[in-house]
Amino acid sequence: MRPTTLAKQEPCPSRRARFVRGAGLGLPIFLGYLPIGAAFGVVARGLGFSALQAIGCSATVLAGAGQLIALKLIEAGASVLAVVVTTSVVNLRYVLFGAAMSPHVTGLPLAGQAYLAFTLTDETFAVNIDDNRKRTADAWSMAGVGAIAWTGWVLGTAVGALAAGAIGDPTRFGVQFAMPAMFAALLVAQAEDRRHVSVAVLAAVLAAVLMIALPEPWYLIAAPMLAATIATVVDR
Amino acid sequence: MSAGAIWAVIAGMAVANFAIRFPSLAILSRAELPEWLRRWLSYIPVSAMATLVVGGIARPEGEWLPPLENPYMWASLVTGVVYWRSRSFLGATAVGIVAFLALRAVLG
Repeated sequence: MRPTTLAKQEPCPSRRARFVRGAGLGLPIFLGYLPIGAAFGVVARGLGFSALQAIGCSATVLAGAGQLIALKLIEAGASVLAVVVTTSVVNLRYVLFGAAMSPHVTGLPLAGQAYLAFTLTDETFAVNIDDNRKRTADAWSMAGVGAIAWTGWVLGTAVGALAAGAIGDPTRFGVQFAMPAMFAALLVAQAEDRRHVSVAVLAAVLAAVLMIALPEPWYLIAAPMLAATIATVVDR
Repeated sequence: MSAGAIWAVIAGMAVANFAIRFPSLAILSRAELPEWLRRWLSYIPVSAMATLVVGGIARPEGEWLPPLENPYMWASLVTGVVYWRSRSFLGATAVGIVAFLALRAVLG
């Protein structure tokens, strides 16, 4: 990101300060991922994952919904290939997210971009886009958001995988609403003006229709693409 | 599923996930994007979040829930309103989960 700190009065903060600021922005993601990660750990152990496998999966894949869907498929007896292909379709929206992030990562070295791509989730994406729009984001703050999110997801998984017996059924604690709650808050954060509110409503209607019209995960990528296309054509 | 197959799933998902997230970000960041594409991409975050919200509330756990019995829907509304008024991501999420637990107890 080009320096856009004119709005801020303080002199250019250090890398570390920017990283820590990003981690602070991502703290709610950390707290949200802890229980969902724990739920993943508990269920994974129940399906025959070792603790190491559960933690290794979260540390290298970092895909909340994708990982939980993988467990459902394994439970249903799906093959290795079927699990990988289906979860990839679920995660296709990240192609769009990567594209939407691209104007904010110009000029970064490839390794930095690889790190930001690796830590790209629904939540880190929404937080970083919001922060970029406010012109307060830079590479180090985005790195901080990604690091804290990854830590929450892996730590939560470790707790769930290692203490699966003591935790029992994680849905007792309302864990299954942690992700929808973050989506609801992040949606409002993105709806900055009347135009974006209209696009959100359009996308919501399209999502509801396409959930019925298309096979299971495809609405996740079809609805945003269609809504953005209609918005771009109408708004000329 | 055997331990070996589980490792294969993990490796496959790890590679696939990175292959999905990285190229579009890296390639487009090195390209001069036309104005219409920039605008199109600017609508992706809000559209994607709206889609995720609908997916998360209409068919949570894979089954359709009628509105009056759907704690996900009402708790999402509470979460969104709390965020709108407070601009607190953490506060809205926490209030949302409490609302969800309360609504689930009431709606069954």
